[in-house]
Amino acid sequence: MEKVLITGISGGQGRLLTRRLLESYEVCGVDRVAWEGAPPEVRVHQVDLRKKKFEDVVRTEAPTAVVHMGFIRHFRADQRTRHDVNVRGTKYLLDHCQSYGVQKLVILSSGYVYGAFPENPFSMDEDQPLSASRSYPEIRDLVEVDTVASAYIWKYPNIRTCVLRPVSVLGSFVHSMLAEYLRQKRVPTIMGFDPMMQFIHEEDLCEAIALALEQGLQGVFNVVGPGEVPLHVAIRECGGIPLPLPEILVRPLFARLFRYGLAPYPEGAIDYLKYPLTLSGKRFADAAGFRPLFGLEEIFQSVRRRE
Amino acid sequence: MLRTTRAGLASAFKDLTGAFVPVALRELDRELRERLAKVPTPLNEYGYDRFGFSPEAARKAFLPAALFYRHYFRVETYGIEKIPSGRALLVGNHAGQLPFDAVMLGTACLLGAEPPRVLRSVAEFWIPRIPWFGVLVSRGGGLVGTPENCAAMLEAGECVLMFPEGARGMNKPYSERYKLQRFGPGFMRLALATHTPVVPVALIGSEEQQPGFTNLHKLGKLFGFSSLPVTLGFPWLGPLGILPLPVKYRFYFGDPLQFEGDAHDEDAAIEARVDTVKAKIVELLEHGRRARRGVFF
Repeated sequence: MEKVLITGISGGQGRLLTRRLLESYEVCGVDRVAWEGAPPEVRVHQVDLRKKKFEDVVRTEAPTAVVHMGFIRHFRADQRTRHDVNVRGTKYLLDHCQSYGVQKLVILSSGYVYGAFPENPFSMDEDQPLSASRSYPEIRDLVEVDTVASAYIWKYPNIRTCVLRPVSVLGSFVHSMLAEYLRQKRVPTIMGFDPMMQFIHEEDLCEAIALALEQGLQGVFNVVGPGEVPLHVAIRECGGIPLPLPEILVRPLFARLFRYGLAPYPEGAIDYLKYPLTLSGKRFADAAGFRPLFGLEEIFQSVRRRE
Repeated sequence: MLRTTRAGLASAFKDLTGAFVPVALRELDRELRERLAKVPTPLNEYGYDRFGFSPEAARKAFLPAALFYRHYFRVETYGIEKIPSGRALLVGNHAGQLPFDAVMLGTACLLGAEPPRVLRSVAEFWIPRIPWFGVLVSRGGGLVGTPENCAAMLEAGECVLMFPEGARGMNKPYSERYKLQRFGPGFMRLALATHTPVVPVALIGSEEQQPGFTNLHKLGKLFGFSSLPVTLGFPWLGPLGILPLPVKYRFYFGDPLQFEGDAHDEDAAIEARVDTVKAKIVELLEHGRRARRGVFF
């Protein structure tokens, strides 16, 4: 039986993925935090991806496949650490995969790397340049990870490397910044803006990763959910009330609050509340036969129920 | 308790104002609702299409537009049935300093075409930056005119409106009325790439709605505007000067033109096809101007 190593296994998505993959694979994982209550057959190693100890884990576990979702996606850590863990950690992981005979590699990037701009096309495909750094420099580490991972496809074609760029993931278990944002009672929005947004259920994302592994997909793929809705509809359906604020006040206020560690994200994130970032999932649907099972209603329900 | 009181007050307010709203307006609203329900655009379970169009939101914007359509510009259309079902690219002359012509054409397609269509007007790339207005354009079916967006719309079977003259046509002085300015060839490459029929349409009336004498480009740039026209009403009458004269609009639609060929063909070949469309619009404009008796009636 194939053996899969999951980085970031202790997170909500990692745990869900573990349960999904246990049906057909042997699963082990690494993370910086422990997973209390992990299934007994799943070994979880508490290591930092940048340390030698991680290399030892890869060598001894000798997985045939790796799913890399061990990224810091929040801003609670300082910028340098976040960048270092994400970019250098990924680089080392890729090196270890090459050194220790990993055959399949799935990297969970993010749809946010394209950046939200007013002139964005309706359905951006994978050839759209990754411009997030232009207005949101704080997530340039995610852009760099994506770029390094995509280059890996060409550099080591013997490893089936697959980079997945999912739209915003929502569900009962995942903790994403967007999920935290939508779960508030009064959700701040930018006055006069209401962009179309896409969402995917956490279990559908698990399914997408499983498909990529099963079929040994190679390439870069957007992973898209059931459809798009305007932001205010998403807020309403998650049980919140939109709180429109004028941008001219919010932007500078947010920039200052973030600098003093009092805001969860920097002002560059505000663009995602103004401009559309909608992706085309055609390439993945054609290549893997992926169809999301959970509709928008169910996705929003899973956010509501968690309260 | 506060919530029920608020809901109660809201419904009482609605009943009260409803009593004062003239029957004609409610009739018009109902007509718009019926027409919008017949538009062949797939909507998701929340009433939005994937491009951001919402019949509910659009209806509110179409009400004042429909009032202008029926009572101010008193629009007459000739040959609107020539717009084919499915994908179509409407191309016409642009004029009038502000895009009232696009709004009236959109209203014509909703009220006058069978089945009713929501005309997808191509907007400048800076429109989504404007608060409220950007959302309004999107909810009404508009789109930013990038090649990818236009192709996506056409491939979804929508009817897209493009003015190849752009601001050149819209902001031209009164002395240039009914003289077609340079046509950008993008629309032809788009039509070839997506195998879309081009429907030429001549707009009579918009050329005289806001006679312009000159354009203070440089002054406008200081304030962040791409152009600052000096017209009969603006800037003397202030914001009131934005309202155009009550000209009578007449739209003449030509037969759809199907073009075949390589979208990446050299400029000369594309220009030749563009000239065919231009000639057709000129022909329709001449016909329309000869047929009318006056500018306002």
